[in-house]
Amino acid sequence: MQSAKTSLGDVIRHLVMLVVLIIFLFPIYWMIATSFKAAPDILTRPPTWTFTPTLDNYRFAFEEANFGLYIGNTLLVAGVSTILVIIFGSLASYSFARYNPGDGHIMFFILTTRMMPGIAVIIPFFLIFREVGNTDIGKALLIGLDRPGALIIVYTVLNLPFAIWLMHSFFQDIPKELEHSARLDGYGRIQTFIRVVLPLAAPGIAVTAIFSLMFAWNEFLFAFILTRDMARTITVGVSGFISQQGILWGPLTAAAVVCVVPMLLFALALQRYMVRGLTFGAVRG
Amino acid sequence: MANLADVSSQVSTRAAESAPPKKRVLSDTWYSVLLITPAMIFIFIFALFPLGYAINVSLRYADLTSPQGISDYVGLENYRFALNDNIFWASVQRTLTFGVAAVAIEMVLGIAIAFLLNEIKWLKGLARSLFILPLAASPVAVGLIWRYMYHPEFGVYNGILASLGLPEQNWLGSTALAMPSVIIFDVWQWTPFVALIVLAGLQALPKEPFEAARLDKASTWRILRTLTFPMLAPVLTLVFVLRAIDAVRLYDAVFSLTQGGPGQATEVVTYYLYRLGLRFFRLDQSSAMSLLFLYAVVVFTALLMRRFMRNIAERARRA
Repeated sequence: MQSAKTSLGDVIRHLVMLVVLIIFLFPIYWMIATSFKAAPDILTRPPTWTFTPTLDNYRFAFEEANFGLYIGNTLLVAGVSTILVIIFGSLASYSFARYNPGDGHIMFFILTTRMMPGIAVIIPFFLIFREVGNTDIGKALLIGLDRPGALIIVYTVLNLPFAIWLMHSFFQDIPKELEHSARLDGYGRIQTFIRVVLPLAAPGIAVTAIFSLMFAWNEFLFAFILTRDMARTITVGVSGFISQQGILWGPLTAAAVVCVVPMLLFALALQRYMVRGLTFGAVRG
Repeated sequence: MANLADVSSQVSTRAAESAPPKKRVLSDTWYSVLLITPAMIFIFIFALFPLGYAINVSLRYADLTSPQGISDYVGLENYRFALNDNIFWASVQRTLTFGVAAVAIEMVLGIAIAFLLNEIKWLKGLARSLFILPLAASPVAVGLIWRYMYHPEFGVYNGILASLGLPEQNWLGSTALAMPSVIIFDVWQWTPFVALIVLAGLQALPKEPFEAARLDKASTWRILRTLTFPMLAPVLTLVFVLRAIDAVRLYDAVFSLTQGGPGQATEVVTYYLYRLGLRFFRLDQSSAMSLLFLYAVVVFTALLMRRFMRNIAERARRA
């Protein structure tokens, strides 16, 4: 192994690492710093590095632009779609991991649905939800244009392939013998799945849930096209500070902080699992 | 479903008179099909129906600004239009330029950072955690922040250039620089993705071959060329494919940074489809182009992922 002494090479490596980290984290610092600047400090040339912090931008974002509503909508849409994804996804994923119906072909087909560029299907979605929104079922279930149900459906469909693939690798890690012994103890198949398999797959389910939440939270295109104001989500809210008259940079940065920081904290908390999640479960981080 | 299984299992166990009810009502095959059914119904209805709709519209005349809306079938007319539409091909060209440049830079930088992270001794865990941050941020929200940072007058990048005595740049406003600026943003957001996955791959490599090579006094370059990179190849392929698929679907960054401008300097395929379909309401033409685009993406991915898919299918089969 390498010597315990600190060599010149070590020092250089750490310095380079530090510089690289500063470059990659700087935009996040700049976003947070700008959000606390008063309007005159935002539009200075050259930009100021020191300033007196103020909460004006946050006040504006929540009072003028109704950010509370957008956050509520986002939580509703992200939460419900994640629950649906976990229920449908874990059943299907377990089935693929244990019984492999379709001999891998169905798994691949499911993956291809995820490759679809959003823009290619968004117009059909738009027209379908416009129709459904005028029916009684659509009204009762809040499915339609500018209704949260529409986004819940879209995010569930978009996240299902990912969830099935990600959980697949977790279900495969569970030894079959445990299930066999549960069956010998008199558990039925469904009981075995709920009492034995699901608790063991809990880390995988948690990772999937958090990725699914993150995706729904950060999604923009569908939310932008399918909502107007009632069901507007947070990313669309951030972009709302761009107007014909110009861009309100202060409130925009405050809104961006509200949108981005929760996900940054999420990612830090689950960084151990991030790699596995980012590669559909193929690489174990 | 559970009730049905219980009832029929009671019948069958009573017949067999075995004391603990072993529920062998459904064969494994039927049970497995039952488990995937809810997900498959969802996927079939909401993924295939819009696709079918798009295929249908692409064969008709559909201009939503005209009073007829979606009207007569016109055969392959819209596909003929798409193949001859210079604006469409120019946008395809831009998507390819963006994809090749962004993914190449991300791969090179990401691999370099992964090696660096793998070698450092202090605060390795902290550095790795912090690298996650860019890719967790909503692209639209941070894209808008970058638009502010790129601002020619008040932007921090020009501020830094000026304080170093370098010429200031019109990052997003000049035809020549706009695309590179979008690429820089994408590199910022996705290089950490490459770095973290390659790092995980590096850490999973077996130790023995490397120790043996070191005992043989093999040069670092030789070890890299004959051991490290060949053993990393599957991970590198996977990262490359995932990034490439994402790069051709680029939309959010263009929306928040340039809206396709200046002129059409950054109008990639997805943005052109958006403009044609949802600004000019030519559903027919934009559907035809979307389908051509989708077809290209699926074929391209299938080709790239052949080996990876085979591994996955094998893994599934072994289970």
